[in-house]
This record gives sequence, structure tokens and C-alpha cells, in this order.
Amino acid sequence: MRQRLTFLLAFALTIPLSAASKLDVPAVAYRHRTLANGMEVYSVRDNSIPRVAIQVWYRVGSKNDPPHRSGFAHLFEHIMFKSTKHMPSEFFDRLTEDVGGENNATTRDDSTNYYEVIPSNYLETLLWAEGERLASLTVDDAAFKSERDVVKEEYRFRILAPPYGRLYYSLDKDSWQVHPYKRPGIGSIEDLDAATIADVKKFHSTFYRPDNAVIVVAGDFDDAQLDGWIDKYLGTIARPKAPIPRVTVKEPIHKETKRFTEYGPNVPLPAAAMTWILPDARSADSAPLTVAAAILGLGESSRAYQSLVYRDKIANEVEIDADEREDAGLFIAFAVMSSNHKVSEGHKALRKEIDALATKPVTEAELTKAKNQLVANILRERETNNGTAFEIGQSVVVEHDAATVNKDIDKLEAVTPADVKRVVKKYLIEGKPTLIDYESKAEGGAK
Amino acid sequence: MRKLAIALLLVFLAAVAALSAFAEQTTPPPPGPPRPLNIPTPTDKTLANGLRVIVIPKSGVPLVAARLLVKTGGEADPADKAGLADMTASLLTKGTTTKSAEEIARGVEALGASIESGAGWDNSYVAISSLANNFGEAMTYVADVARNPVFAKDEVDRLREQNVDALRVALKDPAQLARFVASRVVFGGGPYGHNLGGTPKSLEGIKSEDAAAFHAKWYRPDNAIFVVAGTITPDAAMAIAEKSFGDWKASGEMPPRAGEGAGATQKPRVVVIDMPDAGQAAVMVTRRGLARTDPAYITSQVANAVLGGGYSSRLNEEIRIKRGLSYGAGSSFDFRREAGPFFATAQTKNESAGEVASIINEQLSSMTSTSVAESELTPRKAVLLGNFGRALETEAGLVSRVGALALYGLPLGDLSHYISDVQGVTAAQVKEFATGHFPDESVVIVGDVKKFGDEFKKRFPNAEIIPLAQLDLDSPTLRKP
Repeated sequence: MRQRLTFLLAFALTIPLSAASKLDVPAVAYRHRTLANGMEVYSVRDNSIPRVAIQVWYRVGSKNDPPHRSGFAHLFEHIMFKSTKHMPSEFFDRLTEDVGGENNATTRDDSTNYYEVIPSNYLETLLWAEGERLASLTVDDAAFKSERDVVKEEYRFRILAPPYGRLYYSLDKDSWQVHPYKRPGIGSIEDLDAATIADVKKFHSTFYRPDNAVIVVAGDFDDAQLDGWIDKYLGTIARPKAPIPRVTVKEPIHKETKRFTEYGPNVPLPAAAMTWILPDARSADSAPLTVAAAILGLGESSRAYQSLVYRDKIANEVEIDADEREDAGLFIAFAVMSSNHKVSEGHKALRKEIDALATKPVTEAELTKAKNQLVANILRERETNNGTAFEIGQSVVVEHDAATVNKDIDKLEAVTPADVKRVVKKYLIEGKPTLIDYESKAEGGAK
Repeated sequence: MRKLAIALLLVFLAAVAALSAFAEQTTPPPPGPPRPLNIPTPTDKTLANGLRVIVIPKSGVPLVAARLLVKTGGEADPADKAGLADMTASLLTKGTTTKSAEEIARGVEALGASIESGAGWDNSYVAISSLANNFGEAMTYVADVARNPVFAKDEVDRLREQNVDALRVALKDPAQLARFVASRVVFGGGPYGHNLGGTPKSLEGIKSEDAAAFHAKWYRPDNAIFVVAGTITPDAAMAIAEKSFGDWKASGEMPPRAGEGAGATQKPRVVVIDMPDAGQAAVMVTRRGLARTDPAYITSQVANAVLGGGYSSRLNEEIRIKRGLSYGAGSSFDFRREAGPFFATAQTKNESAGEVASIINEQLSSMTSTSVAESELTPRKAVLLGNFGRALETEAGLVSRVGALALYGLPLGDLSHYISDVQGVTAAQVKEFATGHFPDESVVIVGDVKKFGDEFKKRFPNAEIIPLAQLDLDSPTLRKP
């Protein structure tokens, strides 16, 4: 097929197939330094527009929540926008939103990333501010309690209010047996209520240190000036002597299939979910698993959409995802059933599609389609400085190698029909799934 | 390309510079001189058949986004067929005279492209996002689905069932349901009062022939605009537009536009939908806003940025930052061909629904009684300018901004003076605008009423409390007979 040829040639470095169909995908040209205090610095210069993105990644996520403090890493992320020694609360908004920029942060299982997208003349100001909250976060009791209330509202907003919020909440809780990925990153009202300012101070000193941080700057700057500012505002922060605690728990191979039933009070259509434990993100099997998930569930021509939603009309929505993580991944398949269709039909149909992938090799055309979709998604991510910076941060922290940012596309292109068949058999057929039935039940109803 | 400098926040610069008089490490380093932002100049031509084609080239990642906008949407839905425009547009990709729904999905996705069709209030659209090298091939699908859809009966039935199921889910989500209810409260029985996607009842009445007739009447080149942005030259994009749509013929005279969207002004109401076990209450304060072409458009955006646009707006400051009552509060105008709605919203625990509604009302009133200080106005304007700058960074953002100007017949040159227009708005204009546009609002709350507490009745003695089981979105009264 023409498109496949175009891709293979394009990624072998823009050899034009014909003048009209050449696709020029430049590598992400990043520069890397490690500061004396252990902080890693990546930068990608692009002076085409006068804006710049800063991403600061810390190697701490929900899996590092202290005992009986589920949700703490995320609550802490909110506190990082409060006061520091030289900045009042919400001062990051004064330096970003008030000058036409934006900021936000996300807590994931393995990491927490903070970002600012700003007019480039504010780069030095924001590097100083990032240094401030890394070196000298201060927080008072009133601000802590008020922000904790905000996080409790976030819990209600994400989990309790939407009809399928409790299902998303249950996926990790039910799928993992021992790994701390088990604990929901948003936490619980009880654990959030138990958190104290002392916890905040301890968490900051334990994990927020230069040798546990990666900064990525992408956009409009001058290399020498950037290096000077980073040395001045971030390179001078002391590196503590204590070792950084790491999660070393290994999820065992699941020996049997487990089944859970979860309930929500306002669930008009039941849902069926299945999950399997996958290898970590650095595994050579990651790319074929990503392709397998795309063949099954990416777009309306995918197999699960075609069979469950379009042809058999038993489901109104399907979602298939190979969620890559630092310690071990999770393959997630779920279907929101159509009216008058049962959860058991959903499990059976999802299973059937997975079985088919393990027994019959996919066609070249289907494989190429999935690869083209995945590569296009990577390119869409790179459209903004912030997207590029995010990709580098993710590569460094979760995949332990910035260079993967320029290898991902090649790895996807190298996947063969035999690879797809092999990984589906290994992880989804021989691996034991967790099954979740999600049903409606009024609160206070017998359970 | 024209160049314009964003003169960023002189007031703020001065404040930072003053702070910097202290020892260096303890104060934020002041910003350097701002660099100018490039505002693109679109190429704008009309084909012989009346189709307007607009191209905005952009360098960077090899992607192209395009959108065919038909200048008719849900405002033209017949009163008993709410959701017809949306059904019609969604069905375009479900089969043409030469390709099945599956062939279209497979063909587009094999190119690494994605296609989407749907309807807004004022337009129906087909959008494509594609790798630059196969944009031409991706466009053959766009042209085919826009021009040759067949609206097969089994596809209409399938989509109707899917939409009815999706509505059943939406009706159990407090935030989505509050929006549906607010449309009826603000616009009553007028066209904007119905749900754009229809209701389970109205969807039952929509047949294949209805969609085919809607398509035949409104999808014509002299009622459409084609907008392209990305790594493509104007000449190449024009050639693709000519190849895709050049031989598309309009038959007969363009029919007159469907009637008024906004309809008669409704009396303010306080409507509470009781959803037992709702995980949170969705609180919405709403009223009629203004048309996109209203001369007060820019002023309304500045006023909204102060009130509820962005993180540090007054609503989020009062509700989230000061009181911890919500994950986020904000407001927006939904600009349409005629005056669309204005919404101020927050989700909060059921127990604080009344308090949050009162805070929103107080903040709206304070916009009418007190002038906004310059020290607040300047950073709030920067929020708008920041959004504008970020929209220009992506081809989807460019298509959206430029497409909206074209849809409402506004000059594309508005792009080049948006920044100075925003900067020119005064505090007095904001106050005058608020005085005219912020009183007489309605309140809509969806939540678990038994948790609202006695205080709620004292705050809103006139509240109409409608149990979810009694709700009828097809009726302006919102109650089943």
C-alpha cells in the first residue's frame, strides 16, 4: 500500500517517494545536561513563535502515597501552587495566567509533572519560581485545609458525579493484587481528611529534591542564556544526602481469573471491564501491545468497535488501552453496554476479539492502518512546545531514556503480525484477567 | 504575514521591577522585552459555484486540518424533530453512494487521518485532520461524505439507538442535565430551547427521509465555507478545494434562513431537578447572552474574563480558591448567530449548592455595581490574549478561529486587531456592559435535594423543584403533563 511505503521511507529520513507525498518528520533535537546537584535538564529550541514551555517532572507519583494516605501525592501537587519563602499563594498564576500564559500539573502513578506555557520573555522569571517551590515551599494551615476541600470536590467531580466515575476508580483497585498501583491516585475522603501539614513537609523533603527532578524547556530561548538561568536558579539548590525511597514491590503473575462487581447509583447502562497485567514500559513487548490495542479499539474501523458497537450493537462504547507504566502496565478493555444487553455479553464479546487476535495473524493492511493512526497521534502531540516537552519528560521518567522519544516511531514501524499474535497470546490469553461488572444500585441499597 | 507586538502588561512589569529592588534571589527576575507575535494572513477566495475557500499556511509538524462548514445547523431543526441537523451531519460518514460506513472509517484511518462530522447551532460540519503528505487523499473522503451521503435506513436506526442510549447516560450526569434544562429555562419553546442532540422522544420521529431532505436543502456550495490550515501552500490547498468541490452544484435559489433561534425573552426562574444520589450538585446561573456579531462582543469577552474566564477569575477565586467549595467555577458566553446563552457554573457537594448559587449571583451583581480596577482588568485581558496566542499555535485552533469569523460574515482582518481591540476596552465599558447583560438571571441546579438543607429554601423560596422522574425536556414547563 502506498501509505505504508511512504511511512517507511519517511522515517528512514525523508527520502521523497515523489515530490507530492514526501512526509518530513524531523527528529526531536534535544540537548541534555546533568547539573552538579543531580537535576537533569533537557531543552529543545524552536524560535518560530515567542513562547516557551517549561515542564518539571518529579519521580514521585501516586504509587508513593504514604500508608493510609491514598491520594496524598495528588493533594501535594495542589499544595505546590501555594506559598514559598518568597512567593505568596497562587503567585504562579500571577506569573503565567496574568501575562497571557498558563500552568497546570498532573499526578500520575509514577510521576508528577508541573508545566508553564508563557511568553518567552518570562522564561527567567518562571525558572526562578520553579526553583522557589522546589527549595522553599511553605504552607499554612488555612491554605492546606482549603485546598484539601478542593481536592475532595475534585474526587466528587471525577468519581461520584459522572455515571461511570466509580468504574474508572475501580479499575486499578480491583486489578492489582499487591503493587501500590492498587490505591486510587485521587484517594478517598477518609485518607484525605487524615492528611496533615506534617505529612506535607515530610513528603516535600523526601521526594522534591534536585536529584529526583527532570526539567524540560521547549520553545523560544537562547541556549547560553537558558543554561545560565538554570545554573543560577536550579543548580544552586542543595542535594540532600538521604537516599530517595523507591517502590520495589513486584506484582506477581496472577494465577487465577478474578471477578468483581462494582456499583454506582445513577448508571443507566451497565458496563463490562477486563484488565490484564503487562510488562513495564521499557519492555520490547510494549510496542506490539500498543499496536494490538489500536487494532482492537482505536477508531471506528477497529475490530471491537466494528463488532460490539457497529455490527452486533451490544455496546454503545468500547475502549481498549495498553497503559504503559514504570513498574508494570495494565491492558484495559471495557464496554458500556447498549440498552437491554448484559455485562456478560460484553465480557464474552471482548474475549472473542482478543482470542481472534491470538489465533489468526493480522493482515498487513490492518497492521499498517494501526501504525499510521499511532504515528499520527504522536505527531499531533508534537504540534506544541508543551506536547514535545511532555513527551521528553515521559520518556525520561517512565522509560528511563530520553532517546526513546526518537525511537518510538521506529519501534512501532518494526512490529510484525507475528509480534502482535505472540504478545496477545502471552499476556492476554495465558495471562489471567480481572473481570469487573459495573451495575446500577441506589445508595444504601443492599450490597 | 503581518507582525503585531503584544505589549504585555506594563502595569505588571512595573510592579515586578519595583519588587526587584531587593536582593536578587528573593524576588522574581523581571521579564525581558516582549517579542512580537506573528498573526497569519489567510488566503480567501470563492469558487465559481459559490463555495468560499480560506487557507492559513503554518510551518512546523507535517499536519493539515480542514473543515467544511455548512452555514445551517440546529437552529433549523423543526420543532418536533429536535436533533435533526446533528443526526444528518453525523450520518454523513455512515455511507455514500459508493462506500459503506466501514469502508469510510477504514479508508480514513488507514491514512492516519481522523474524520468527524456533526452540527452546532449555526453550522453543520465535516472536519478532517491528516498527515500533510496524504491530505489530498483524505479529502476525497470529505468531499464524498459531504456530497453523496445515502442515509440508509439501518444506519439511521443504528445511530438513533446509539444517541438515545448516550442521552440516557447524559441525563444521569448532573452537569450535562443542567445544560439541557438551562436551554429550556432561557429560551422556552424557541429553537435554542431544545437540545441540539435531541431527546429520546424527538429522535424517535427522525427518519431517513428527514435527514435526506435536510441535506438536500442546506448542503450546497453557496451555503458553505471550506477552511484549511497547516503545512500546505495556498496554491496546493486551493487546487485540492477545486478538485473536491469545484463541480459541486447548487440546485435552485438558496432557501431563506430558518426562523429566529433565540425566540421571545423568558421570565427568570429558579429550577431545581432532584436527582437522588447525585454525587455532586451542578449549579448554573444562566440568561440570554448576545450574538457573535453584536458590537459588544469584545467587551463581553473582557467582562467575562473578569467574572469567570480562567483560573484567577472572580468566580473561581471566591468559590474554589477562598472557600474550597468546588474543583472549578467559571462562566462563558455561547455566541451564536442570534443571542445564545450565558452560563456561570460550578459543581459542588450537595450540601453547599445553595451557598454556591448565592455566591455566583453576588458576583454577577458586583460586576454591575462597581468598576473593575485597572490592576485587575489588565491581567484579565492578558488571559484572552494568551488564549488567542495559543489558538494560533495549532492548526485546529486556526481553523476554529478563522472559521468562526467566516461563518458569521465577519472580516478575517479582525484577527489582526483582536489584540488591540481587547486592550482598548475600558473599565467603564465593562461596567456598562454588565449593567445591561447581567441582571435577571435564572438559576438551574441538578442535585440530591434532600441534602441541600433548610437554608436552601430561605435563599431560594421560589424554587421550582422537579423530581427527575417528572422532567420533560420537550416542554418549556419542564414538567410531564
